[in-house]
Parts: sequence; structure tokens; C-alpha cells
Amino acid sequence: MSYARIPRCFKDHPLKPFFVKKLILFVLFFSAAAVAMAQERFVFTPQWTAQAQFAGYYVAQEQGFYRDAGLEVEIVHPSLTQSAMSRIRRNESQATTLQLCQAMEIIDSGIPMVNILQTSMNNAMVIVSRRGVDPLTQKGARVGIWSAGFGQLAICMSIKDGLDYEWIRFANNVNLFIKGAIDATLAMSYNEYYQLVQAGYEVTDTNVYRFCDHGYNVQEDGVYMTREYYNKHKEQARKFAEASRRGWEWAAEHPEETLDIVMKYVEENHIATNRVMQDLMLKDILRLQTDRESGEREFRLRPDMVKMASDLMVEYMMIDKEVTYEQLTEE
Amino acid sequence: MNSPFQYIRKSLSRKLSLWIVLFAAVIFNVALGFMFTQSLKAVREEAISRATKELDNTVLRVTSLLDRVEIATNNTDWLVTRHLNTPDSMFVYSRRILQNNPDLNGCSIAFEPYYFRDRGRYFSAYSFNDNGTILTTQEGNDHYEYFYMDWYQTAKLLDRPVWTEPFFDFNPDDIYSKEMIASFCKPLKDNAGEYIGTISVDMSLKWLSETISAVKPYPNSYSIMIGEGGTFFVHPDPQKLLYQTIFTETLAVPDPEVSALGHAMLNGEEGMRELEMDGVDSYVFYKPLGDTGWSVAIVCPESDIFGGYQHLRRIVLFIVIIGLLLMFFVFSRVVTSELKPLMLLADQTDTIAKGSFDQLLPEDKRTDEIGRLNHSFIGMQKSLRKYIDQLQETTATKASIESELKVASTIQVSMLPRIFPPFPERKDIDLYANMKPAKEVGGDLFDFFLRDEKLFFIIGDVSGKGVPAAMLMAVTHSLFRAASAHESDPAIIIRNINETVCPDNSSSMFVTIFLGVLDLPTGHLRYCNAGHDSPLLLNGGVTELKCLPNLPVGILADMKFVTQECDLTYGTTLFLYTDGLNEAMNKDYEQFGMERVTELLKPCAEQEMGPRQVLEHVLDGVRDFVQDAEQSDDLTMLALRYTPGEFATILSERLTLSCDLARVPELNDFIMSIAEKLGMDAPTSAQVQLAVEEAVVNVMNYAYPDGRKGFVTIKAMSDGHELRIVVIDSGTAFDPTKKEKADVTLSFEDRPIGGLGIFLVREIMDSINYERTDNRNILTMIKNIK
Repeated sequence: MSYARIPRCFKDHPLKPFFVKKLILFVLFFSAAAVAMAQERFVFTPQWTAQAQFAGYYVAQEQGFYRDAGLEVEIVHPSLTQSAMSRIRRNESQATTLQLCQAMEIIDSGIPMVNILQTSMNNAMVIVSRRGVDPLTQKGARVGIWSAGFGQLAICMSIKDGLDYEWIRFANNVNLFIKGAIDATLAMSYNEYYQLVQAGYEVTDTNVYRFCDHGYNVQEDGVYMTREYYNKHKEQARKFAEASRRGWEWAAEHPEETLDIVMKYVEENHIATNRVMQDLMLKDILRLQTDRESGEREFRLRPDMVKMASDLMVEYMMIDKEVTYEQLTEE
Repeated sequence: MNSPFQYIRKSLSRKLSLWIVLFAAVIFNVALGFMFTQSLKAVREEAISRATKELDNTVLRVTSLLDRVEIATNNTDWLVTRHLNTPDSMFVYSRRILQNNPDLNGCSIAFEPYYFRDRGRYFSAYSFNDNGTILTTQEGNDHYEYFYMDWYQTAKLLDRPVWTEPFFDFNPDDIYSKEMIASFCKPLKDNAGEYIGTISVDMSLKWLSETISAVKPYPNSYSIMIGEGGTFFVHPDPQKLLYQTIFTETLAVPDPEVSALGHAMLNGEEGMRELEMDGVDSYVFYKPLGDTGWSVAIVCPESDIFGGYQHLRRIVLFIVIIGLLLMFFVFSRVVTSELKPLMLLADQTDTIAKGSFDQLLPEDKRTDEIGRLNHSFIGMQKSLRKYIDQLQETTATKASIESELKVASTIQVSMLPRIFPPFPERKDIDLYANMKPAKEVGGDLFDFFLRDEKLFFIIGDVSGKGVPAAMLMAVTHSLFRAASAHESDPAIIIRNINETVCPDNSSSMFVTIFLGVLDLPTGHLRYCNAGHDSPLLLNGGVTELKCLPNLPVGILADMKFVTQECDLTYGTTLFLYTDGLNEAMNKDYEQFGMERVTELLKPCAEQEMGPRQVLEHVLDGVRDFVQDAEQSDDLTMLALRYTPGEFATILSERLTLSCDLARVPELNDFIMSIAEKLGMDAPTSAQVQLAVEEAVVNVMNYAYPDGRKGFVTIKAMSDGHELRIVVIDSGTAFDPTKKEKADVTLSFEDRPIGGLGIFLVREIMDSINYERTDNRNILTMIKNIK
């Protein structure tokens, strides 16, 4: 048996480790095919590995909502060498999901992006400290943050509240925190938070800080495409957004079937997770999609939240200048 | 439908067997319970010891492997820190570790960004073993910022050597085969003690995994290993391996026991717990794996540990239950068979009890209690049989006696006068009597008869009752008849009876008697009382006839009895009774008493009732008093009423002759003239003449034996129907009626004097009567003429 040793550099990568040869073939395939098929095909790349966070898109694909909309959608998860944004930049994928703050950073860095569908209506980020310790009392503590680049709000908050956290970038899991190498860690309430719970970690009101409850309730996930692509394919974008929304609505109504679909993607992608975790994630994602004030799944960017996020990021120099609601939307 | 309870209750054998079996079951239960408890304890201890030993061995083996990695790392890192001036030597060191330890998978010697300024941001010397070929490269780049990796940062942040959480590689060729890798990471420091980077040695956990998985103290036991985050790094279930933590399922379905186990393992504890793992009751033995933060556990299903024990227990319980059932069955059978004779005995005793006394009981040879019972029953049956025979015999005898008694009673009754009124042709006397014996035969007697115009009557009471009394009564009755045949004096008659009874009276019985002789023509009553109650006279009132008490008959042989006399006036009723009347008792043992008798008789006297009415009246009175009480004594009563009629004389003539045979012709003439006057036929006249001549000649010859001159008076009276001729003399007392009848078979010469004369008189005349009054002999002869 030829057992392929994967270069060490892939091992702890958050994304699925691919065999190099396969990876090259894959890239070649896309390079060659992408141009020829761009007109017909629509590649959607979620920003993370397969999990319930993207259930609505899997549902839309599996239930044929995209096909019904006249779209031939392919869902391609990001790879080791190709993050979602790098695929977008190379036009290998036509749409991806981004958190609002992420999108603002990208726009601020000079890549105009358009939000064609906003799914999240609430912020999911939390800080989890050791048992019995309030994150707000841990001035100067070592706090884990995603190396992938979420957590802009946390950085703002750390400065704003004078906590001066020492940010320790981690790749994709909670191992550093579990090993005791860091004092606290950022976590998504639907993902890392549950990973900690699953690791037997005790989470209480004391040692968990929820940004949404402290004036940082900024929307997160939305579907974005480059403005360049959007301007040429508005109808396609509208159809994709419409079908995706339909997928989410179906998911909300059929959580069990949705979970089956999610598990299918999870297994196909060999993700080290399980049904219990995905169930918890799906529930939380669906919860986050409901606007706190209206109590409804609104599927829209809230200008006030955009403004708040932009102001915070400008104030704490995460971005150079304001990113407006109009910049994010169709203008 | 009988309930099982009744079914058991009905049979002694079943009851007995059930008790024995229940008792045995209790003993078995206690003994087996103790044994099972002890064995369970022993098995448990053995299992704990065994599993713990295996776990210890495994941990030791795995730890020694991990130690080897650590030693290899330690053997290299000092070289690194000594040659920091030659970055390229790091490639040699990383490669050498793999060369020296072919079972290691890779080695990184990675440095902080820009540590080697000339090498740029990334410098990590990485060697890895690709199927025996060691490849070496610099692994850091923009896509792989190694210094953010756990393996790098953990050692750095913790500032000590550390094992990373295991992770896994995929083999895309096999699509789904995966190999687990763990890295031992150690912070590198320069001479000043500043952190400069991390050395990391990768080891495939394949062998570790296999070693741990191979720990299988029981067929269905399995081993697990969890990392610091609770993730299963060894688990037989591929669905769980790497994908789940020990807590995952508790998030869906809370399971405090599993959670507690997980926390204990994460805390690096060592021990044993009993809990349900994946729905199976299991014993979990766990122990931390050195300093890695990982923990190994052996999960042993309880059914495996106690499988043999449970199997044994099932077999033993099966044997015990079957044994007990068998025991019940066998005991039932044995006891039934042992009790069979008893059943037989019960059946046959039933039969005997129903009256079949001849039913043969089986002879049982056994010597136990049942045998004894059997013998006792046979003995009892024999005794019973004998007793029954005796009873039958006695009953038969009694029946025979009863029947004889009935005959005796009939005889006794037939001995007594039964026809009432006894003298329907006579107007001067009416009599009624009855006897009511207390038993079949009575001891009372009464009798009466007429002889020569005299009424002889007797009432008596024999001491005692029943047959002996009846016998004496019969004797007394016969003696009365015999003695009074030719004797008219009551005292003499009684004396005769007494003289006969006394000598043979060995049984000391006695009899009270009242005997009376009433001369009907005159109403003169002679009587003698031998210890009997005085009779009562009913004549307008009730008076007692004065009686001397005398002794009863049968006591003194030479007892002198005295005759008393009185005259009965017209209409007087004489009431005789035995003590069965005045001593009749009611239920309260109260006697009837003389006062009541007298009271009862008063109306009879006043109303001048006939004898039969008197007796019936008295009987009614007694019956009312006694009611249902059993009659205690014989009751006998006799009543006679004397009513002499007027003689309407149409002819009355007299003739007195001196006692000289020469005067006999005068007598003949006198008789002939009377006969002529009365118109009697010649033969009758001749016969009457002969009879009177015989009587007068008799007086002439014998009345005055001392030569004294005497006279004889002949009175002739007639009312037209009968002719009465009275011969009166004042000579020696002589009662011709006492003479026995002449023996006509004797020759003329042999006959006693006068015997034939009175025979002739009796033959010719219709009735004769003798009385001696005022020292005169009065012989009355009556001849019906029409």
C-alpha cells in the first residue's frame, strides 16, 4: 500500500488535507474548465469546511431549488491552497459566504464586494474563559483568535474595553485552549463553543462573553460576490440568492431532513464531526437567522448594523474608511 | 374448578411435599445466595485485578514507546541549540532523528519568524518518512504559517515539552483509510534561555492504537483512548473514532455517569467505574497515558465478566429448580405410596362406617405408625363386630322377651275378668274394674266371682313391677281362686294365700291385698285387708272403709289375718284402688294424692254414678294431672255398686219341725201344698221336695250332735217367679256350700255322709246360699218356677 505522507504543512490546516497530486489535477481541471463553463456553471464556495453553517445551500442544491431557478450550481468547499476568497479573486468561484466585518475589510482593501443575500441577523461570537473566570476581568490575557481572520469585533472590543488581550492565532480548533496554552478563546456559538462543550468543558454565564449582548450585535454570514461579476450577472445573482433563501427556509421547516443532507456533505468531505454537533450547529445557525427585534427571518442587511460595524472598525483602525450599506448592496 | 391451593390442601402428600420442597428451597436459596454473593465478589475482584493488570501493562508498553520519542527528541535538541549559527544543520538533525528511529514519521525543527534573518519569515526544517525514504524540506510558506500551528504554539505558550492532540492524515488512494499522528513538541531556547522555536517529532499512533485496541481481557471488551479534548483516538466504532468525544452523546441524551467518567479521564485520574456504555452495563477501567494528557480505558461488558458466573448460576438454578420439582414429584409419589394403606383404610373405614361391618381390612405387615394404625383399626373392627353381634343377640333376646312379655301381658289380661258388666242378669250388683300396667305386664291384680249368692272380690298390688311382679300376681290370683272356691271367710282365704306364698318367697316380694265377700241377699260384707289401701265408700259422700292395716301377704307365714264386717246399704258404691292412683306422678314428681282422689270421687257419689262412669271419671282426672309424664306404677281400680231388688211376696209360709226324722212327712206335705199353690208341675214339685228333704234331714242328723234337742225352721216364699226355701237352724255352724261336689264315681258305701245330699240340692235347685247369722245357720235355696 502506498501510504502517502502528507507534508506537515497541511496537517493542522483547517481545511481538508488533499493529496498533492489530486490537488494539482483538481486545479488544472478548473483552470481549463472554468473559462469554458463559466457561462453555464455557477460555483459557490462557502468560507469553511462542510458543516451545518451552510445547510441552506446544501438543501437548495439537494432539493433542486437551484436547478429550478435555471442554475447549474456546484458547491466547492475551499481547499488548503485555495481559500474561498482566493477562489473568488481567481473567478474560480462566483460566490462565497463572508462575515460582514470580513466583507468590509475586503472592500476596504480594495476589492468591491456585493452582498446578494444576508442570512445572519445576529452575532455569534463569544469569548470563553476558564471555569469561573469572567473574560472581562482578564486584562492582558492570552486569547485565541482565528488565524483565518474573523474576530474583528473582538479586537475592537478588547481595545474599547481596555482589556488589552494578547491575541494568539489558532488554526481551526480549540486545542490550544484545551491544552491550557491560552487563557481564553474566541468561539462561534454554533461551532467552537459546542466543540468546547463536547470536550467536556464547562460553559456558564460567568465564563462566556457573548458579543451580541454587549452592544456588538453585528450581523455575520452573508453571500457575496465581486461587484465586477455581480454587475454582469445580476439576474443570476438574484436567482442564486432567491434559491438559497428558499433552501434556508426549507431547512428551517425540515430540520431533520436538513440534518441528513448536512451529514451527507460532512461525510463526503470526511469532516471530523458528528450528527450531534451538526444538529446543535444547525439549530444555532437557524436561531441566528431570526432578527431579535422583528422575530423573523429577514434575509437582509440591516443598515444600522452596517453602520455600527463600520464605525467600530474605523474607530479601532481595522479599516481605513467607512464602508457603507450602499457599498455592500446593489447601490 | 379447584384452585391450586385447594388442590394442594386436599392431599396430605402434596401438602407434605410442598412443605419439604419449600423448606429445601429456602435452604438452597440461602446457601446458593451466599455462594453466589461470594463468587460474584471473587469474580469481580478477579476481573478488576485482571483488567487493571492488563491496563497497567498496556500503559507501560505505550508509555515506553512515547518515552523513546521523548528521548530521541531530547538527544537532538541540545545539538540544535549548539548549532544555531548553522541553520542548514537543522535539516541534518531532523533527518537524523528519522534515520535513527525508523518508526517515527516526521520531525520539524521550526523557528520563530525571521529568527534566521537571512532565511526570511519561515524556517522549519522538516523531514518525513515516506515509506522508508526520508525526505527533508523547509515547510513554512504563506499557506502554511507553521508558527500558528498547535504543535508549534502549544510548546511555546506552555513553555514545556508537550504531546499534541492526535490528528489524522487521509490516504486519498484508499479514500478513507486514515492514520493517526501525534507529535511530541519541545520548546527550543537559546543560550540566554529565550524561546526561539519548537522541535516536534511525529509518531504514527498506528502501533499505539493497535496495542491499545488489542487489549481484550474479555471477548466483548474493548479499549478506548481519549485525548485532552475527550476525542476518541482509539475506539472500535469508526463512527466514533475521531468524530466524537466521550461527551458527544451526552449532549443529545444526558448521561451523568458517562460525563463523570469523561471528566475523570480528562483529569488524569485512574480507577474503575460501573456504568452503562452504549446501552451495555459495563465495567470501565481507566488510566492516564503518562504525561500526554491522554487517557486509556478498557470497557468490559458486565455480561462478559460475569458471563461464566451467570452461566454457572443459570445452570445451578436450573438444576435446583428441576431438582425441587423432581423432589416435589418424588416426595408426592413416595408419600402417596406410603399413605396408600391409609387411604385404603380410610375408604374401607368409610365403608364400615356405612354399615358394612364385614368389610375386610387389609392386613398390613408394616411396623410403622400406619401399620399400628392398621392393626388398631383391625382390632377395633373385630371389637366392633363382636359388639354388634352381642348387640344383635341382645336385641333379638330383648325382642323375644318383649314378644313373650306381650304374650304374658295378654295372658295376664286374660286371667282377669274382661267382660263388663260381668253380671248383666243381676240387678243387685254392678261392677267395673280395669288395670293399666306401667310396663307390658303389671304387678296389680283384681278379680271377682259369684258363688252361692256371694260376690268374692279382690284387689292387690305386688311389690315391684314388671315380670317378677306379674308372676307373683299370677300366683296370688290363682291362689285366690283356689282358696275361695270353698271358703267364704276373707281372712282364711288370705291366710291360705299367705301360707302358700311365704315359703317360696325367696325374692322377698310381697303383695298387698284387699279381699271382700259380699253376701248379696243381705248386703253383708266381710272383708280382710292385708296391707292394702283402704277402699272408699261412695254413698252420698265419700268415706273410707275402716280397715285394719295387717301385713301384706308374703312377709310372715304365720301371720294372723282378721276378717272385718259391715253392711252395705242400697246404692252404696265400694271403690277399690292400688297405690298407682294416689301415687301417680306428674312431670314435677308431684303425687296425685288422696285429697285429689277424694275430690274426684265426690261428684261421683253425689250423682250416683255407675262403676264404669266412676272409673272413667277418675282416669280422666289422673290423666289430666299426669299429662305426658311416664306412668310410674301399675294403676288398678275396681268399683262395685250394690242395689238389691225388692222381693214381691205372693206366698209366704213357714214350718218348724223338731229334729226328728219322723217329722219328715210333714215337711213333704208342706212342700207339696206349696207346690200345689204355686201350680208347679209334678216332677219339679217332686225334685224340690227331695232337695228340701235332703237339706232338712241333713240338719236333723248333724246340727245338734251333742244330743241336744233342736228345731229346724223351713220358710217358703215366692214372688211368682221363683220359690225360695230357707232352712234355719241354731245348731253347730255348718256351711254345706263348702262341701266339695260328691264323687259320684264312688260306690254308695264309700261316699261320705251327707256329701250326696248337698250334691242333690245343688243339682235340683237353681241357687243356694248359706249364711250364719246370730248363731244360726241359714241355708237359702232358690228354684225358678217360671
